[in-house]
Amino acid sequence: MCTDCGCSAQGSNTQIKFFVKGYQTDNVDTVERTLLGLPGVYHVHIHAHDGETTIDYSPAKTRLSEITGVFTKHGLEAVI
Amino acid sequence: MEIQVMEDILGRNDQLASENQMLFAKRGVFVLNLMGSPGSGKTSLLEKTMAALKDNLRMAVIEGDLFTSKDADRIAKYDVPVIQINTSGGCHLDAAMVQKVLQELDLENLDLLVVENVGNLVCPAEFNVGEDVKAVVLSITEGDDKPLKYPLIFKESAIAVLNKVDLLPYTNFDMAAAKKDITSIHPAISVLEVSCTSSTGVEAWYDWLKEKVAAKKMAVNAHG
Ligand SMILES: Nc1nc2c(ncn2[C@@H]2O[C@H](COP(=O)(O)OP(=O)(O)OP(=O)(O)O)[C@@H](O)[C@H]2O)c(=O)[nH]1
Ligand SMILES: [Mg+2]
Repeated sequence: MCTDCGCSAQGSNTQIKFFVKGYQTDNVDTVERTLLGLPGVYHVHIHAHDGETTIDYSPAKTRLSEITGVFTKHGLEAVI
Repeated sequence: MEIQVMEDILGRNDQLASENQMLFAKRGVFVLNLMGSPGSGKTSLLEKTMAALKDNLRMAVIEGDLFTSKDADRIAKYDVPVIQINTSGGCHLDAAMVQKVLQELDLENLDLLVVENVGNLVCPAEFNVGEDVKAVVLSITEGDDKPLKYPLIFKESAIAVLNKVDLLPYTNFDMAAAKKDITSIHPAISVLEVSCTSSTGVEAWYDWLKEKVAAKKMAVNAHG
């Protein structure tokens, strides 16, 4: 059904995958939920052990700089 | 290429939605787009709402359904104007469908219009129909993992009604975890625990709704 009606607007979402330095067990959950709270962020997955971070978001609703800003605010460095 | 087409569809829909919104704004009608999975309890919540508020609020309902008029028949029993839209298999309502039926409503004499969308936790969230706010009904029997699995509908909704709390003892639904996930996805969202069967929490829902309706009226009066 959805392919007919064109509701797969998820197609306008982007998935980015990158590494972040400095995750601690006590800040991973906070960072994950802070990112998820941004208007255009729909999914966040963080591998704390190696820093691999995957984010699904809509560039029309949230700028990449807002996402990287969250890492900076938590003293983390994102290598995008 | 496909993305371009998609943007055209959504762009056109948004344009029609804002036309609808202007019609509602002129008359101070508060419009709620009620969404949620099949069977989550959208019509049940509406039935409770009509029984409680129809003597104080001038209400009307638009019922979106694939083929049947089963929900509209339930609403009609409450003596509230109801319009059926059948989508012929389409999985959501859009602004054009709503616009087409608006002349059947006496907008001048209306405080609250509820649009019950097609039961679906995904697509309706993509399409504005001209509403003031969206609301999502999630029944606890669907599982506490649903907010993270279907985030858009929670992002878009001003309120999440967690329905069927009377069944909590029979499920593994973790209320605290679900609420934490919902407010992570949408920090400004209101979350209510409700049972349409036992009437738990319904007063808070009525209060929320009445406040929204009053605010809309005030905004219209303020702008003349
Ligand atoms: N136990 C329990 N059952 C409920 C509650 N609310 C609704 N139900 C039942 O759940 C079933 C589905 O409710 P509906 O109100 O038809 O759900 P809906 O979301 O309108 O469904 P669709 O329009 O098909 O998408 C019905 O059998 C209701 O009686 C509740 O709070 N507790
Ligand atoms: Mg229904």
